[in-house]
Amino acid sequence: MDSEEKGIDITTLKPEHQIAVEVLTRICDCMEQNAYPVVRDVQGAYLNIEIMGDDMRSTYGRFGASLDALQLISNTIVARRTRGDVRVILDAGGYRERRIETLTERALEMAKAVKEHNQEAEMEPLPPHERRIIHTILMEDPDIRTYSEGEEPNRRIVVSPR
Amino acid sequence: MQQLIEYLVKELVDEPEQVVITEVPQEDATTYEVRVAPNDLGKVIGKQGRIANALRTVAKAAAMKHKRKIYVEIIA
Repeated sequence: MDSEEKGIDITTLKPEHQIAVEVLTRICDCMEQNAYPVVRDVQGAYLNIEIMGDDMRSTYGRFGASLDALQLISNTIVARRTRGDVRVILDAGGYRERRIETLTERALEMAKAVKEHNQEAEMEPLPPHERRIIHTILMEDPDIRTYSEGEEPNRRIVVSPR
Repeated sequence: MQQLIEYLVKELVDEPEQVVITEVPQEDATTYEVRVAPNDLGKVIGKQGRIANALRTVAKAAAMKHKRKIYVEIIA
């Protein structure tokens, strides 16, 4: 197995993160898809884990909802098991990466339209981590500003001319 | 499938030995009935049903390759 498949060596992680990987391993073992977790990145409390296995793209990689649901349950279980602050971010079938591309495209299109018509426009509701991606991308554009409106789970971004 | 639901539910509750998952096959779908200790009900349902909904979504995703409709019902 090459390093691409194995990711970060689990034994080098702090104990709370090791517990998180154990939980994800148990979940994967129940999945009937030859699934296993690979640790891609550690940033403070955040642990980026990719779930590898058969048909991951069609089961978890196609819609964010199933991945977000698995992430919520995993984090709830890990929080029960650890005292420390651990946040698991899950990916499968390259979903998050493709999603960043899509969101970037949508954000730039939106910014262009807002400037052309000099009129503010609203995006569809998005989860917090996806809204943050859009805010960050559009922060670089001096001609527009972004803010969020509404309550979760219907909270959405408004792009407005400056 | 039952194994996945059972593991997740048992990890979410304080009394895992009280967890019972029953598979109820129907013609066009399978229902998984989840029973937990009364004190654990809130942990499986979550605020505004978030955990219960997430359990349903995860189970549905896992069932996709079997092309089978499944339901997860939490029985009080």
